[in-house]
Amino acid sequence: MTATLTGPQTAAGMGEFERTTSRWGRLTMIAGLVFSLAGPLYLVFFADLGVTATQLFTAFAAVAGTFFVIWLVEPLTYFPILGSASMYQAFMIGNISNKLLPAALIAQSSIGAKPGTPRGSLAAVMAICGAAAVHLVSLFVFVGLLGTWLISVIPPDVTEVVRIYVLPSVMGAVIIQAIVSLKQVRATIVAFVVAVLVLFVLVPLVPSLAMVATAIVVLTTLVIGWFVRKREAGAGQDATPEVP
Amino acid sequence: MIPTTALATASTAAAAEPSPVLALANTPVLWICALGVFLVVAVQSVIYMKAARKAAPAVGMTPQELRTSFRTGAIAAVGPSLAVVLVAIALLALFGTPATLVRIGLIGSVSFETAAASIAAGTTGAELGGPTYTPQVFAIVFFAMSMGGAMWMLATLILTPLLQRGGHKLEKVNPALMTVVPAAALLGAFISLGLAEVPKSPVHVITLLTSAAVMGLCLVLARVPGLRWLREWGLGIAILVGLTAAYLAHSAGLGPVG
Repeated sequence: MTATLTGPQTAAGMGEFERTTSRWGRLTMIAGLVFSLAGPLYLVFFADLGVTATQLFTAFAAVAGTFFVIWLVEPLTYFPILGSASMYQAFMIGNISNKLLPAALIAQSSIGAKPGTPRGSLAAVMAICGAAAVHLVSLFVFVGLLGTWLISVIPPDVTEVVRIYVLPSVMGAVIIQAIVSLKQVRATIVAFVVAVLVLFVLVPLVPSLAMVATAIVVLTTLVIGWFVRKREAGAGQDATPEVP
Repeated sequence: MIPTTALATASTAAAAEPSPVLALANTPVLWICALGVFLVVAVQSVIYMKAARKAAPAVGMTPQELRTSFRTGAIAAVGPSLAVVLVAIALLALFGTPATLVRIGLIGSVSFETAAASIAAGTTGAELGGPTYTPQVFAIVFFAMSMGGAMWMLATLILTPLLQRGGHKLEKVNPALMTVVPAAALLGAFISLGLAEVPKSPVHVITLLTSAAVMGLCLVLARVPGLRWLREWGLGIAILVGLTAAYLAHSAGLGPVG
């Protein structure tokens, strides 16, 4: 397959592809970034809600304290699988592991291309474009139009219940999903113990820590989790992230 | 007593009209920004497909193979996309349509965005979705979620060229570091946010446990060959069953006082 066409021709073709996708991938991602921030910034500056800079900074700092590790690790994890072109697609379309990666892999196998080869990269890019098309249309039609209509006809007492309890109903499922898919028994136990101690012992003692409680749990779990991790025999080579 | 009654009348009055948070969350400007993100993703796809079509002959790929890849990707995405739709609809009452479309549907994912929202609301002393969830709190929450998502994109924008140029040096980082550290961070965040729901009311506990149990059941059943689709639908099903349990328990008067 690819072996017949390696050489300067392939290199030139892929070189141009890489240049185009890198340049336009970056530009479109910056445009997406601007649009995604424009909404909240409009509310902050023009909706006359009396939001202060301190409030915004505190809220962002608490989120950053919890997720900064993930911000750095996710791009590092997905780069070898996606390649540079698809990176700019994937981190804007979202739902990478449960939608985009399977789509790319199925497309590659359907035309008999291996991941990491030029054919594999093009197949992945096309598959992600296909997935994006389906995703945009289904979101727009079923959430944008149908969902908005649905919310307007559902009895108000139902929407009120949804609003109050949607957070625990998301978190209950997400915790189980994280425990099952990450398969880190020790880190799970550490996280439970640390969370109970921080939320029900530390915070009642020092109430001012309530707003950074999650960040404290994350950092403590991270440090303890690292020291009690299961050490693999050998160099730990089999501990690479599990990818489908 | 008076504040409680006042609150009750306020919420009944608000019930007829959309709540002030939803009125703000569905303003036209936010719709335009959300559609802007949709447009950007569409434009990006078109540019990428053109580039792929141009490069295809050089790597020995036929136009037919490009079409097959596109179609396969599209078909593979139908199930997961509809699963995301289900989850997103459940969050419309909390975030309004434009924010849900961008944050849950596109850039982010339901787990990170609701986690960020809950943390951000907490810093203002408010409870996401509760009576303290005012338009001002929504603006702060939406800002924090969007900045969080922006950090992901920023990390991608900075790291991708570095990884591309620097060969694969960064991948040679101790593999245990790359698995244990993010796993610990994710487990710490979600478990902490889940447990933080427990003291709020008995209904919160019932909701949390029901949703967790349904998700567990879905993941177990997903091991049966014919039921693999439960892997992606589990989250949506668990949220819906959890909310149903919440509705029943709330109607039975177990909800938060006041």
